[in-house]
Amino acid sequence: MEQRNKIFLAVSGIVFVALFWIFRISTEADAQDALMISFLSLENIEDAGDRRVRLGGIVDPGSIVIQKENLLDCNFTLAQGSFKVPVHYTQVRPDLFKDEAEVIVTGQYVNGVFEADELQTKCASRYEGDLRNESSYQLDDLDI
Amino acid sequence: MTPVAGGYALNLALGFSLFSIISVFWFHYNKDARLYFTAQRLVLGSCLLVGFATFVLAAELINSNFDIDYVAHYTSLETPAVYKLTALWAGQEGSLLFWLFILSIYAGTVVIQNQRRNVNLMPWVLVVLSVVMGFFLVLTNFVANPFAPTDADFQVMNGNGLNPLLQNATMAIHPPTLYLGYIGFTVPFAFAIAALISGDTGSLWIRSVRRWTLVTWMFLSIGIILGGWWAYQELGWGGYWAWDPVENASFMPWLTGTAFIHSILIQEKRDMLKTWNMVLIILTFSLVIFGTFLTRSGVMSSVHSFTASSLGPLFLGFVFFLLASSFALLAWRYSSLKSDSKIQSISSRESGFVFNNVLFVVLCFAVFWGTMFPVLTEAVQGTKITVGPPFFNQIVTPIALGLLLLTGVGPMLVWRKTSRSSFFRNFPVPVFIGLVTAIILIIMGYSGSIVMTVSLSGFVATAIFLEFGRGMNIRRKKLGESYASALMKMISRNRSRYGGYIAHIGIVVMFLGFAGKVFDQEAEWGLRKGEEGHLAGYRFSLVQLSEAERPNHYAWIAEINVENSEGQKVTTLYPEKRVYFHNNPNPDRRQPHSELDIHSTLRRDIYSVFSAVDTESGTAFMKIMINPLVRLVWIGGMILVFGTLIALWPVKQED
Repeated sequence: MEQRNKIFLAVSGIVFVALFWIFRISTEADAQDALMISFLSLENIEDAGDRRVRLGGIVDPGSIVIQKENLLDCNFTLAQGSFKVPVHYTQVRPDLFKDEAEVIVTGQYVNGVFEADELQTKCASRYEGDLRNESSYQLDDLDI
Repeated sequence: MTPVAGGYALNLALGFSLFSIISVFWFHYNKDARLYFTAQRLVLGSCLLVGFATFVLAAELINSNFDIDYVAHYTSLETPAVYKLTALWAGQEGSLLFWLFILSIYAGTVVIQNQRRNVNLMPWVLVVLSVVMGFFLVLTNFVANPFAPTDADFQVMNGNGLNPLLQNATMAIHPPTLYLGYIGFTVPFAFAIAALISGDTGSLWIRSVRRWTLVTWMFLSIGIILGGWWAYQELGWGGYWAWDPVENASFMPWLTGTAFIHSILIQEKRDMLKTWNMVLIILTFSLVIFGTFLTRSGVMSSVHSFTASSLGPLFLGFVFFLLASSFALLAWRYSSLKSDSKIQSISSRESGFVFNNVLFVVLCFAVFWGTMFPVLTEAVQGTKITVGPPFFNQIVTPIALGLLLLTGVGPMLVWRKTSRSSFFRNFPVPVFIGLVTAIILIIMGYSGSIVMTVSLSGFVATAIFLEFGRGMNIRRKKLGESYASALMKMISRNRSRYGGYIAHIGIVVMFLGFAGKVFDQEAEWGLRKGEEGHLAGYRFSLVQLSEAERPNHYAWIAEINVENSEGQKVTTLYPEKRVYFHNNPNPDRRQPHSELDIHSTLRRDIYSVFSAVDTESGTAFMKIMINPLVRLVWIGGMILVFGTLIALWPVKQED
């Protein structure tokens, strides 16, 4: 066989195997650890069953409840327009997590509560706010 | 200085860019050289105007002119001066202007360097540079104007201030270096398109852009590594890469760009792969613009992306325009890109480069597939399915290991054909070292990708050191030089080759650092004074919890004593929980921030995050991670950059 054909065959083989592997991982049922559903409605979450789900939205203002005895144990409501889902999260929260923060949670929907094991907030370049004047300093109001 | 001047400068710059394009086309038809020189001056003028507009915005940021919406949103009176300046690239509008500013530096340099050189290519290079500048000038003039006035029905007394996460030295350097890398690919792309339009498709354009491409690639590498370093030092999740769409957006052009800097060597040495090189640089630049689309369109749920804006369709349209016009030109010139040279053997260095290129492009496709998977599945099934790090790790690990293997095999292959004798001279020792390493690791109880990574690293490092050794021995025998002198002169005489080998050593060291990730451990505790937690044989005890009020934040400081299993003190960590803008009457504007403390050694990092504090009970909630070999990632990155600098260093004429 000509050398040129050998190389062509080898290159085609590599590309074919790699593409097969990529498609397999992204579609096969046994590769579900690698996949998560980003849903847009509650119906989708229930359809996901025990699969891991990724969900993005806004932290509903006033919904954050932090357990007194364990400050890492946190409940809040994630909102996407009028659609809302309760979320439970027990790990370290990112610094930008607060009311109306845009967040992405990853986890499972169990008995009406989204048990998140990952919580990401939009990165620093998304930092925006209103332009009100500042005048006083009240440390008692600090809520972290 | 009035911000109106900045706005006018951007208006004029757009006009200059458009007229430079018209001048080149006019020159093409009537061959009046004055028109070409006019086009050059118009491009230079456009660059100067963009520079002036950037200077105006920087001055307004420093002077806290809150009448400008951008200044009010990204700085405050308390923001330190250096971070007022870095706010230039903190938001959408400013970063677009900053993009233009860097492009104008590159474009200006190209014009000045080539005023009387490359006369066949340069008119069309000017057109491509002006089209790209024109696109960004349209955005900054009409869609995202950085000089737009504040839209408020009250007097803005103070601005929002810059996010504390961005008030960090790394974050001041990371975006500019990433931009220098991203935008620099405009120049080789412009030369490639100019070669296609002019029909001068030989190796001239490759020689003109080789150094440019390497500089650009080096900046992109530094930008990506610094981004990882910043995430590791600041964000508190203990990692440096998360396969986020925006991280992937910078990684994809890096992959095709890396393939390009390898494959242009083949065109230079053997006049082969001419079409392929065109394809690679077109893909690389299109991926740069596509990455910008991903970041700014809001199409991906990324933690990095800017606010969803009307910029998305414009960027996507520009990507399609670039791809369609570039590939149409490529099809038009396809016959002139054919080469008479052919690869003579599968065991040649040329074929090694071909396999290297194929793996880089396949890897890029895998990253692209994983990044766009939610969009594709939503289009096909109506449900967004996201692929996470496990998908990328399963796909990327084998391909990356294949590339690591080729890093070692490549230097041992010979141009045209590797003879049996050179095969048996070059391969046995590295293969033996690789095998012995694998056997030792298996006996020690390791398996899977760890064994593969470490043994391949042993193989590659041995192959590269043997290359150095052979070169030095030849010089020592022929010229009687000492080892040190032989090494220095050998590198100095062939900087491109040995700089490349040093960069490869950097890659090997980085791979060893990546392998350490498998052994990461972490724990979370709520500790009161005197209490302790245990992880990976270390004892962590909270000695003290103190408080401090500083000019722009309030801090709780945990003093954590770390002892090893023998009870010996390892270090004391001082992670902090801070609240920035603590004076602000609006609690929503106060910004909590965890300041990490990391005890870093070559073997492992002890990584501490102070995540929350219960002031009533005096409980500090801590997250501790033990991350082995992370330092190797940064050291490998430094070696990679050092090697690239050697490859770039100009050779003296007398050499």
